[in-house]
Amino acid sequence: MVAWSSIPQLFSSGITIGAIYALVALGFVTITRTSQIINFAQGEFVMLGGVITFFLLKSLNLPYPMAGVMAVMLVIMIGFLLQISVIYPLRKASVLILIMATLGASIFLSNTSALIFGTLPKALPTFSGEQPLQIWGVAVVPQSIWVLGTTFLLLVILFLLSHRTPLGKAMEATSTDPLGADLLGISRNLMVFLAFGVSAGIGACAGILITPIYFTSYNSGTLLGLKGFIAAVLGGWGKNSGAILGGFALGIIESLSVAFIPSGYKDGVAFAILLLILYFRPKGILGSPFIDSRRW
Amino acid sequence: MVKEPKKEFRKRDFFYLIPLWGLSLIVPDADDLYSYRSREFKRREIYYLGGVLVLPLIWPDPHFHHLMVLAGIYAILALGLSLFLGYAGQISLGHAAFFGIGAYTTAILTTRYSFPSFVAFWASALTAATAAFLIGKPILKLKGYFLALATLGFGEIFLVIVRETQTLTGGVIGIFGIPWFSLAGFSFDTYLKQYYLTWGVLLGLFIFSKNLVRSKLGRAFLAVAASEDAAKSVGIDVAQVKTGVFVLSAAFAGFAGSLFACTMSTANPEAFGLGFSTLIVMMVILGGMGNLYGPILGSILLTCLIDILGRYQEWSLPIYGVILILLLIFFPDGIGTRLGIRLLYLIGYWAKKKKRDEGKF
Repeated sequence: MVAWSSIPQLFSSGITIGAIYALVALGFVTITRTSQIINFAQGEFVMLGGVITFFLLKSLNLPYPMAGVMAVMLVIMIGFLLQISVIYPLRKASVLILIMATLGASIFLSNTSALIFGTLPKALPTFSGEQPLQIWGVAVVPQSIWVLGTTFLLLVILFLLSHRTPLGKAMEATSTDPLGADLLGISRNLMVFLAFGVSAGIGACAGILITPIYFTSYNSGTLLGLKGFIAAVLGGWGKNSGAILGGFALGIIESLSVAFIPSGYKDGVAFAILLLILYFRPKGILGSPFIDSRRW
Repeated sequence: MVKEPKKEFRKRDFFYLIPLWGLSLIVPDADDLYSYRSREFKRREIYYLGGVLVLPLIWPDPHFHHLMVLAGIYAILALGLSLFLGYAGQISLGHAAFFGIGAYTTAILTTRYSFPSFVAFWASALTAATAAFLIGKPILKLKGYFLALATLGFGEIFLVIVRETQTLTGGVIGIFGIPWFSLAGFSFDTYLKQYYLTWGVLLGLFIFSKNLVRSKLGRAFLAVAASEDAAKSVGIDVAQVKTGVFVLSAAFAGFAGSLFACTMSTANPEAFGLGFSTLIVMMVILGGMGNLYGPILGSILLTCLIDILGRYQEWSLPIYGVILILLLIFFPDGIGTRLGIRLLYLIGYWAKKKKRDEGKF
């Protein structure tokens, strides 16, 4: 039942969702590079980005760009609060405790969002028009172009932030040599704090971008977060380039899998890829600075 | 000015010591599990056993019985996970899947093929253990976050398979009408009978675990948790030990799942997701790692907590999330761990607080 004719169409939608996975993966990587923590609540930032924008747009009748910017700001605040209230008290705790605490935060955020904004799935209006464009015989919704463009813009901003500003260099220093950074007077806690803000901001942007295409409801964040994490592992854990490559690769594979297997198994594909990559190449496609070959 | 000589003990201190002495009678001592000199059964354990036997009779409330049946089932699951998590030091976020495998095996065997529940009970454990053996070989070489993620991935794949194989598992709707557990014509058809069944199974598995952690294999778990390299250097086959404890904890989960299916008489995929895995891991953490009483205590506490939170309807899950985080921040190594010392410190703090505030210390 292989539908070859649908492959180009699936490929284009795979690239769109891949861009979102890449953004979520970048959020994970930003935090990991400063603190070696994996934030399982990352997907909730994405969900909150979409849901809060919807709330500001529909209930408070703000103009679209302003609602988006305000939602991103609010989610960044939530990211800061999460770091202060959960991660900072547990900065010396073991891996297991951190996993459970961030999962607890994820339960709290998603269900509080259900309580405040309701449990119905939400869809934002598209940024510009609904009319699909025809590119080489493939129908592409304009929102996909917006997703790709904004992702590219965010990547450029992140690149400049991490390579061209003292702040980015301080973050880099904290990840490569924590002791050296301490000796130079760089506060590691402050860097982790800022990393949570940046990561929450990226997540919120991803949420605003995806909500016009796919419905966002209070419980869609967890799965999206896990897939972003898988993308980061697939590309190479702890590398920005790995996160981007892994995101697009995962999006395209997952989307193309619909042509070969029943669509109900689509969610399982990402996890099957995860088990395969962890077994055969835990470093990921591009290799990872954090995973030492001896330990595996 | 002559300073008053400081008294070693005041009358008040004896007063504070009474609750401590009372606690020392009932609170398990973690060191017992590691020492060779302790006898097989202590008086304290007879108290626990008596308490478990008598409790449902002196409090004949069906809701309470149902709650304790659930707590017992979760305790079996948490006991198995405690061997993997607390003793062997590995992380699993996929135990809900083994629990689900157990429940579905019982559901399918009893409703579709009308096997007796006793056979299905053992078949569930066997199926869960086989699944654990098959996935354990590849994923147990991972550590930390990546092991957590791999087991979580296994759990999600299990859910997807259950939802999609509708002819066998009934898809999203699940399987209904699973008969009560019955053995040789005797059906455990009330919550009181279920209670004794569940806690009887728990007791059996508890004695098994208690002997296991004192055996050579149990010491190997501790060695692997402390340092895999050191364990390897003294001749422990680390990969084999890890697979062994994973299979064992999955078999416990299979037993628990089978009992769960018989008690609830339904099996549907919503019950076996990531949230449930989180809950089970929390039970093990709360009770204290490396202590066999811990998971039982943790499961009773959390089952009661969820029952109480259930009254607040839509507020229950946000409150649950906050309570989880607070418990992790304030009791990162379990409520039961070093309880005596913590209480002594706390009581001492209270006792001296007034004096300290007055600046007399």
